[in-house]
Amino acid sequence: MSAAARKGHVQIKDVSVRFGSKGRMTEAASRVSLEVQPGEFVSIIGPSGCGKSTLLNIVAGFITPSEGEALLDGQPIGGPGADRGVVFQQYSLFPWMTVRKNVEFGLKMKGLGQNQREAAARSLLGMAGLLAFENHYPDQLSGGMKQRVGIVRALATSPQVMLMDEPFGALDSQTRTVMQEILTNMWQQLQLSVLFITHDIEEAIFLSEKVYVMTARPGRIKAEIPIPLPRPRTPEMTASPTFQALVRQLKALIREESLAAMGGELDNGGLQGIDHQFSHDGMKALI
Amino acid sequence: MPIAAQRLFHDLAPPDARAELAPARALARPEDTLRPPLPAAAAAPVAASPAERLWQSLRERAPAQLMALASLLGIVLFWHLATTYKLDLYIRFTNIPTPTEVLAKIVEVNASPKFIKNVGMSLRRIFIGFAIATVLGVALGMLIGRYRLTRNLLFPAMEVFRPIPAIAWVPISIMLWPDNEVSIVFITFIGAFFPILLNTISGVQAVDDVLLRASQCLGARERQIMWYVVLPGAAPQIFTGLAVGMGVAWVSLIAAEMISGQFGIGYFTWEAYSLISYPEIVLGMITIGILGLMCSGLIRFVGKALMPWLAYGARAGSMR
Repeated sequence: MSAAARKGHVQIKDVSVRFGSKGRMTEAASRVSLEVQPGEFVSIIGPSGCGKSTLLNIVAGFITPSEGEALLDGQPIGGPGADRGVVFQQYSLFPWMTVRKNVEFGLKMKGLGQNQREAAARSLLGMAGLLAFENHYPDQLSGGMKQRVGIVRALATSPQVMLMDEPFGALDSQTRTVMQEILTNMWQQLQLSVLFITHDIEEAIFLSEKVYVMTARPGRIKAEIPIPLPRPRTPEMTASPTFQALVRQLKALIREESLAAMGGELDNGGLQGIDHQFSHDGMKALI
Repeated sequence: MPIAAQRLFHDLAPPDARAELAPARALARPEDTLRPPLPAAAAAPVAASPAERLWQSLRERAPAQLMALASLLGIVLFWHLATTYKLDLYIRFTNIPTPTEVLAKIVEVNASPKFIKNVGMSLRRIFIGFAIATVLGVALGMLIGRYRLTRNLLFPAMEVFRPIPAIAWVPISIMLWPDNEVSIVFITFIGAFFPILLNTISGVQAVDDVLLRASQCLGARERQIMWYVVLPGAAPQIFTGLAVGMGVAWVSLIAAEMISGQFGIGYFTWEAYSLISYPEIVLGMITIGILGLMCSGLIRFVGKALMPWLAYGARAGSMR
């Protein structure tokens, strides 16, 4: 591993997060501890509403934990910053900027001059196969391309950590598979630390070194599963016995939690409540 | 440029991934094909020569334009008949000038420096009042829209003044400002200010939160967020405010000029009434209409020039 990869050590220590005021307090996460080693690819998986995104938002600096601490390379995380690249679930490109200007944005905030910014953005876009679209506006791109530009934009400031909140959730399954391959190759190239949120079991296994399974709300770490698959990962591996065994193991863990999450609705929501829950997220986790 | 990032997408192992990365091949993927930039462009046949395309567009647009022309001609014709035969059915056309009289007046007045000066004065007042309203309205709107402190401090005061129509400010304005000219500009400003302010506030508040968070993650500081994210994000609605504000500014200006003015197209129109010069009244009205149309056209033009991305978005058409 290169020296650069020694950075990007994320630690969440005994973190609890509570929202709301007295009386109507919701606990989103309860005494969660997890760790992303420098250069490690870590996924968090769990039923919807378990507080996965809350954890990511803590590392991104948007949420301060009610208890416990979040550290980046040993330093407490104070707020959002360019040392952590974030890729959001929703498309988050600035619609008023062309693709290239979007990629340049972080460098502009750093104070780089126009020529440097342009050269850097063009070379990144070239490598991502997006150079032909540098002068397009985001609204002219397909979903997969938008998300690719979003990843390139987050990487432009060369962060030590990438935080990805279900970045491929809105894509169709074909595009999603290709994007996963791009991401896994990219991760190997850059040796970045990645914290990846998803509710797709195969996606988590395919990409990660380690998968954390969270419980239903309030979110706790239910299990920490190492993924011993070799690199580079290829689509063929998803058929291997190791992969399939991991899928079964994770499915079983998730199923328990999804049922627990639905338990409350079974009591008071009736059938309609279950249907709704199923179609949204439960299906993904249960199939 | 960090070396690590330089190597970013270089040498991607599986050929599949590379295919997805190469734009030329990626185009074959239905998922990656570009949306047509504009529906009109997509509808046009590819092989048509320029002449054919011109003929095509003329043929497509001709019926609508003919109908527009017909309704305008209809109005003029009715006006001509009603005034020539001095219709008197509850509404009375006895004293209304005929189109020909007005036309003669247009020709006569176009050569008169006094008329040109009236138009010039009105435009100057609009320009100054509207410019101040734009600067103050957008600046305050951004502060009120984004910060709770300024919102709590300033918004109640704005809400107290907002329901008062600009025309109601005329007497106070005359007392308030040292001379007539400034007080008319002030009325114009008041008219334009509130639509611009309110639209800016709501535009700022409607800026997608994920864009704000994305900019923070890319290292933007508050001032940069305001300039590079909040302002362009609110721009479409700010321009809506400018268009509405321009309309109200004209209403306010004409009223102020009629009441307290010296010079200006509103003054010209009212003076024509006092002097029983009826063709000039109609001429004044037509002039006001044309000037207002030009001003809102100018705002639309500037808006399109400054916000080219709107042509592609879900909101495409809002500025057309």
